[in-house]
Amino acid sequence: MRWNNLLIGGVTFVVAIAAAQAPASFVHRKKYVMGTVFEIVAYGESPAQTSDAIDQAFQEIVRLDNVMSDYKSGSDLSRLNRSASLQPQPVPPDLYRVIAEALFYARLSGGKFDVTVGPLVDLWKAVLRGERAPAPAEEARLRGCVGYQNVELLPPDRIRFRSPCFRIDLGGIGKGYALDRAADVLRSRGISCALLNAGGSSIYAMGAPPGQAGWLVHLRDPSNRIDPQVTLSDSSISTSEQTPPSLLSRESAGHIIDPGTGMPLQTQFAVSSVAKTATASDALSTTLLLLGPVRGAELVNSVGGVAAVWVSAGGQSKLASSGPRIVLPALAHSQPNSGLAGNLASQSGVTPR
Amino acid sequence: MFHLSTSRRSKFVSTVVLLLLATPGWTRVLLRWTQPAIPTAASLGVSDLVIPIDAEALIKSAHGQGYRVYAEVPIAKVSTRSSASPTNDLAGIILDPGDGSPTRIDEALRALRSSYPGLPVAVLDARAKQPQMKGQLVIKRDGILQVTSPTAQPWIDSNLALVRLDQAFRPEQTPLYEFRWDLSDSLQQEQGPDAADYLLAVAEAAAFHSDLVLDLHPKLEAGMLQHDAAAWSVMNKIKPYLAFSSEAARDAHEPVANVGVITDSFRDSYEPVNLLARHNIPFLVLTTSDVKPHSLDGFDLLVIFTTADGRTNEQTITAITDFANRGGTAVLVGARGAYPWQSSPPTPSGQHAVSYISGKGRIIELAEPVTDPETFAQDIRRLLDKADNANAPGQDAAPISLWNALTTVAVPYRVSAGGEEVIELVNYAQEALRVQVKVKGSFTSIRYETPEKGCCEPLTPVLREGFTEFVVPSLYIAGRVHLAGGKAPLKAEGK
Repeated sequence: MRWNNLLIGGVTFVVAIAAAQAPASFVHRKKYVMGTVFEIVAYGESPAQTSDAIDQAFQEIVRLDNVMSDYKSGSDLSRLNRSASLQPQPVPPDLYRVIAEALFYARLSGGKFDVTVGPLVDLWKAVLRGERAPAPAEEARLRGCVGYQNVELLPPDRIRFRSPCFRIDLGGIGKGYALDRAADVLRSRGISCALLNAGGSSIYAMGAPPGQAGWLVHLRDPSNRIDPQVTLSDSSISTSEQTPPSLLSRESAGHIIDPGTGMPLQTQFAVSSVAKTATASDALSTTLLLLGPVRGAELVNSVGGVAAVWVSAGGQSKLASSGPRIVLPALAHSQPNSGLAGNLASQSGVTPR
Repeated sequence: MFHLSTSRRSKFVSTVVLLLLATPGWTRVLLRWTQPAIPTAASLGVSDLVIPIDAEALIKSAHGQGYRVYAEVPIAKVSTRSSASPTNDLAGIILDPGDGSPTRIDEALRALRSSYPGLPVAVLDARAKQPQMKGQLVIKRDGILQVTSPTAQPWIDSNLALVRLDQAFRPEQTPLYEFRWDLSDSLQQEQGPDAADYLLAVAEAAAFHSDLVLDLHPKLEAGMLQHDAAAWSVMNKIKPYLAFSSEAARDAHEPVANVGVITDSFRDSYEPVNLLARHNIPFLVLTTSDVKPHSLDGFDLLVIFTTADGRTNEQTITAITDFANRGGTAVLVGARGAYPWQSSPPTPSGQHAVSYISGKGRIIELAEPVTDPETFAQDIRRLLDKADNANAPGQDAAPISLWNALTTVAVPYRVSAGGEEVIELVNYAQEALRVQVKVKGSFTSIRYETPEKGCCEPLTPVLREGFTEFVVPSLYIAGRVHLAGGKAPLKAEGK
């Protein structure tokens, strides 16, 4: 069950898209799915055709929700969670693929990104809602139910869990995967210019608006001083941020759990990551938040075609890139050339203005 | 919901009823008509039209066709219009206040009442927003798109906060508002709002027991006059919602609320109150002049917005202290200065907040304005939850809770006669949703009605620990749940 007052994301960012100077024909649609609002803006030959293509893309997202949801008891993932510890379970191609991608990022991050952390997330969500107090003994027990190494892929289509209390939660990657597949649908319907947004936490940009080099995206800036920006074209941005602390209580829990400690992550940073696919940017943003700016920058450098920016509420920022260019206009005077592959442009500790 | 003593509840309810029932209620959707001709009232399915005061021929024509006509008067024209149009064509006057100051609006109201004696005169609130499920894309007229995402939660633009504040700041009338359509993309600019957008606007006003001046797109108006089938198809979808909305406040209903918001400033309190509404925290708004001895008795929790200098008046301070002493929780926003409860030791309670024990209850001072309304609303919800409910330890103080309903606003009302309750539901996602509801009180009869299926489908209640749980099988946009046959909390404990 999902309480109405539950903060699911806690991730924020701002996107500004420079469209054509002349009025262009675009269609903008929204749909509530996967517990959030998906939006698609697309330019096409005719509004009616574009609207139809968007509808098809939304249908793809709904289909994937029925595959990847751990909330819907009838989803393919729920069935897998119920029975994969008993024997290997055949799963649909999409589920196999997204879990394989999730395990890739789990290995890449040394376990910081872990789709098996669900039991601990549930525990801390209850704490966050004030339904219960933290329970160290239960937390210790549930930590034994976490560990991506216990998920076994059996090509081409079967998955087995090596632990009886295992559960996969694709919340850190599923929306990104859905954006990529929705973009595929738009392409198949002749759309080459669109922006797909999953609840504000992940965006995939296809092509560029008429007359523009790409979709200009203003990234999350908790300090309101840095204004990081990126121009996206056939690439994606995702943002992760821990739940803000309570205003009226000292007891505060966040929704992002560090699998290493079993506890809510303590960080002042929001992080935005740019990658070629939304699946990658979605997984990376959570990973990079958990790793923090120093180890996160090392990870960004170790994989190609990725960029990230960490910004704290106090105005600290750190930029890392192995390809895509994120610009920090407020720090332009001190920003090195960050567009080169493998370059790390760090402004850690800078307090601008 | 009320689980204080019966006498306290009765006094509180009396206060609320006086506030709400003293207002002349239209509680209806009024169509603003702009075309030179009008379809018949029977075909349009509405009886109330809003027409500019200068369109005298159209007013006369509409009246002749049997419509109740409300003349709309911009505030700039009020002082110059000493002689009135023929009043027998009009059912009422609507003042468009524009940017007028409160003093200027009051002057204009007096002038209009003088010019149109015997006619109801109401002020239109133009600060409303198009009700919608809100994404992060904001599309500006110059072709720039902007995306913002305060949180990853589905965000909705709702007018419940506006309505509640209007009820407090202009208690002499039923809230009356209008909004501008947000026609962002080329398809909508060409064709106007979708039918579902009209339905949502009508459903929302009805659920909040407010009056709405609804703009029809010019193309829709013209299309109906030209007997265009597509236009009439849209209107025919709206009609059941208009009929449904007209039933919303047929009986004398009072809102169920256990959170009181005390404020004299619309601007300072709007966003936090908006988020309370967004999180389905039932609240009522009072101004400091409304705060009298016992006027806070029915609440479990108070949120008080101080003035710019961080203070509030002595009467309110006394009432807050009394409220806390008897077990309530009060949150003082932007608090600075000395208060009587500060004689007890402060306990840090958040980065900028301290808490004081006061009698059986407590008072939390937040030293700054609400910088994060979303987090603030969640804090208030947590304060109402079991662990923090100082009024009744161990009991959930939330009158209503929803599951799987991030896009739904629920407004509970108590039917004045008998122990019945009504819950108005609005789903801003505009697609069928299965909603689980938990409401305080024990009800054995639950009936669900919608504009699409009429009245009523029986739902199965599950009674548990003083609450009634049930599942609304399919909420498209509007739904109304009737709860009866049991004990509402107010009536259950009796006198």
